[in-house]
Amino acid sequence: MDYILDVQNIHTFIGQYHILQGVDVRVPKGSITALLGRNGAGKTTTLKSIIGLTTPREGKVIFDGNEVQGRRPFEIASMGIGFVPEHRAIFRDLTVEENLKLAERTKGDYLRKKEFIFNLFPDLQRLITLSGTSLSGGQQQMLAIARALVADNRLLLIDEPSEGLAPVIIEHMMSAIRQLSSESTIVLVEQNFLVASQLAEYYVIIEEGHSVQAGKMKDLVNDKAAIHRYLGAA
Amino acid sequence: MNTYIRKNLAFLITLSVIVALFFVAAQGMDDQDFVITLLRGLSVGSLTFLVASGFSLIFGLLDVLNLAHGTLFMIGAYIGWTVYVRPDTFVDLLTPFALTLSGFALRDVYPLLATRIRLGLSMKRLVPRALILVSLLIFGFILPRYPIAIWNVENYGESPVTYAFMASQGTRLPAPVVAFTEISAPLALIGLLLASLIGTFGLSLFGNETQYKTNVSGKTFLGFVILLVIALGSFIFNDAITVMLLGLNSNWLFLISVVVAVLSGAGLGALMEATLIRPLYSRPIYQLMLTLGLSAVGIEMVRAIWGRPEFVMPKPDFFSGTGGVCPATNFADWWANNCSIILLWDGRVRVYNEIFIPLIGVIVLISIWILLQRTRLGMIIRAGVQDREMVEALGINVRRVFTMVFSLGVGLAALGGALAAPSMGLSNAMGESLFLNALIALAIGGLTNYPGAALGSVLVGLIQQFIIKYGQIGIPIPFTDILFKPTPPLVPASTVLLMVIILLILPNGLLGKKE
Repeated sequence: MDYILDVQNIHTFIGQYHILQGVDVRVPKGSITALLGRNGAGKTTTLKSIIGLTTPREGKVIFDGNEVQGRRPFEIASMGIGFVPEHRAIFRDLTVEENLKLAERTKGDYLRKKEFIFNLFPDLQRLITLSGTSLSGGQQQMLAIARALVADNRLLLIDEPSEGLAPVIIEHMMSAIRQLSSESTIVLVEQNFLVASQLAEYYVIIEEGHSVQAGKMKDLVNDKAAIHRYLGAA
Repeated sequence: MNTYIRKNLAFLITLSVIVALFFVAAQGMDDQDFVITLLRGLSVGSLTFLVASGFSLIFGLLDVLNLAHGTLFMIGAYIGWTVYVRPDTFVDLLTPFALTLSGFALRDVYPLLATRIRLGLSMKRLVPRALILVSLLIFGFILPRYPIAIWNVENYGESPVTYAFMASQGTRLPAPVVAFTEISAPLALIGLLLASLIGTFGLSLFGNETQYKTNVSGKTFLGFVILLVIALGSFIFNDAITVMLLGLNSNWLFLISVVVAVLSGAGLGALMEATLIRPLYSRPIYQLMLTLGLSAVGIEMVRAIWGRPEFVMPKPDFFSGTGGVCPATNFADWWANNCSIILLWDGRVRVYNEIFIPLIGVIVLISIWILLQRTRLGMIIRAGVQDREMVEALGINVRRVFTMVFSLGVGLAALGGALAAPSMGLSNAMGESLFLNALIALAIGGLTNYPGAALGSVLVGLIQQFIIKYGQIGIPIPFTDILFKPTPPLVPASTVLLMVIILLILPNGLLGKKE
């Protein structure tokens, strides 16, 4: 199969703590892949290790055929990876429009993508002059995703898109993410198994810093034992 | 609007109390005293602002408390003075400086070389140190032998004090003539270039556990080529450039000296960030000690090069006219005669100190504001102040922005120094007192808030000047006939008092935001 992202046995330390102790993630082109696991298992660190915010000490991260581990985050991102962090990280002192413009990699990205973005999230268009502070949680999440869409990214890393959102807004977010998957490949970290199972085609389960199980989501949904063991959900 | 008032009640009350106090203060003095004190306050405030704004930009984005900022302000003043009073020394220094810096311009090339060389573990520790040592030895051999026409701190007749005095009298002391006698010129030039390359390569091998990969293109070599051109140009045309600078009218020379001071400050800042600060981002305490140490080193270096005595920098002709209709009574007269003093409400206002400096302060305030609000760089800075990692994850090279901001901040301090030299005079202590002012101003205004830095600086400048003025004329205490005259120690104390009161009411400063 054609993998756009191939993470091979990475080990990542944060300070002296050995957080990732051998994680493999293979992401087929054009798919949605969910990273599953309990709190503190290392899902977010895996995303950060891919984009370079934490540097893996061992192992390889291959994006589109290039080894990227050890490169600086801005270089890795510039190769075509969009990052939507947990808690959104909207820039408070910037307006919504500036938040989007900041994500430009070549001049005019924002103007080019504007229509696409506002089609996906019509709410953002009327908020354009507001500052990041005045947005609700759902609006911040939309903006965080929109920000990753301004540049031409072939891979989107999305951390906890449903966290702290009302069910109606989660629905909206899910349909948006589904729409996006036709344009680019998506890696998703999701606590809410129901959301993850409806969105993703593939999954990787991370448990205490190891990737323990991977495969197709439709197989996992029927594997009650694995779900119970690794995710604690019924 | 209502919610705005409710949210910022404490700020609005504090500000109105300050404004009220200010008007009460005005009642006790004549119009002319009031105008002059006000303008002096704005002047001190502007200089404070130039230091404070740079400091706060650096602190906001990089989280670096640059305790050497006051020293860099002072160095800016001394560099400006040197270019203005001794252009020959400045031209002589250009070549060795450009060559020394040239190695840094190739920093993106070194990682490429480094990956080609495979070294054992012990060699990996040894080689960088050995390279730096070799480079320092070459520098140590060549630089003392390099001919530079400089003053002599030991001998009063040739000291900066005398040069400064003679220049302020309008006659220049003849510049000493120097030539390559102790070392041959080609050897000196090639040696400096090699030493710079070796040293910077050695530096680049340090502290990179994960070797970052960089891309090399033609642009990488651009800075290097420019520096080489400057070095060779100023070497070949040394005399011609000196004669040209000496022949310039003093206004142009002043402008050049300010520009050179700002550029050197910016370069020094970039150098500091890239070599000393950058390896210590993960260790804030070490960083604090480093900048504190650098400040001491800077002061001692200034003492060694320019000596301890205070001296003045003459004002350019544009601000030093006398005779004729001077002091001018209106701006047309002033413009025609370039009077050093203009009469406003019968007060004798020194144009350079009390009008020009505040004017530059306002221009800098506005231009940096535009830079922050209207440009992409400003957007990156504002975003980076909040979350550097996210900015980097968007594909922006934050480290380069760090270097730019550090260099901008130090450049602003150097601008302040170069502007202060003709009004405050040059002394080893000029940086420290102003830096203290700047820190208090930032605490008052809100540590990383840009308009706050301006507001705080102006308040600090005003309160100091008003206390000084009242030290001369006395404050009549209401309902008594006591005339209270604040003593000089109360001048710095008053600013600290203001800071304490404001921080008690508004812990984040006037315009600071809650963290």
